[in-house]
Amino acid sequence: MPRETASQPVPSLTIQSRLEDLALIWPWAESIADGHAVPADTRFAIHLCLEEALSNVIRHGYCGQPGRPVTVQFASRPGELVFTIEDEAPAFNPLCDSPDELPTLSSADQIPLGGQGIRLMRKFAGSLAYQRLASGNRLTMQFSIPR
Amino acid sequence: MQISTEELADGVTRIALDGRLDIAGAAAVDLKMNVAAGSATRLLIDLEKVSFLGSMGLRSIVLPARAVRSRGGKVVLFGANEMVESVLKTSGVDSMLPIYHDLAAALAALK
Repeated sequence: MPRETASQPVPSLTIQSRLEDLALIWPWAESIADGHAVPADTRFAIHLCLEEALSNVIRHGYCGQPGRPVTVQFASRPGELVFTIEDEAPAFNPLCDSPDELPTLSSADQIPLGGQGIRLMRKFAGSLAYQRLASGNRLTMQFSIPR
Repeated sequence: MQISTEELADGVTRIALDGRLDIAGAAAVDLKMNVAAGSATRLLIDLEKVSFLGSMGLRSIVLPARAVRSRGGKVVLFGANEMVESVLKTSGVDSMLPIYHDLAAALAALK
């Protein structure tokens, strides 16, 4: 793994499967955003999608089991940032298991709280892609940035 | 994440949130939100100073709001910025909790 310089964040970060460890992600993601002049709205979208995806892995993929690895990688291409999240959890494709549309509800108080994470990722990420690995899952999220 | 409560005229309770309503922020205010909304019948949730909102933050808003509505009360959201409002609309929460950017209109909706 490349050593981090004062101006360049490392291209990947591994945390343990605890919601508290998400706090380690944000300074790293912010340094990436700083290095690519990412506008505020896109920073919001990146933070949102990373939080939703990572909390899904921790709470659902690993069923809350602590001490399991979750790795976030980033790559930049002209006009886009790509974040990839890999875990060692049982197969779970979030893109197939949640509806795109809100269900028709008889009462507004029935707004579902479950499944909101995926709905938000679909809205705020430029694109999402899932891949089942030999022993885990990979979710790739792309965000457009100014060239 | 900070939370403050204020009683306004006409029995309106204003809960103001300040900070990022991410997982950590939601955990920091969950209990206080429920306590503050505890006996309210007219609730204004002020999101002017909320800079971030995720799905756990949505829960922190929706659950106490449901409790107020279950008692026959009314709840409105006030002052969400563009991105926060986009989260509220994408989730459909705005169909239960209308969003206002004019305080007078928000208060009128609670009458």
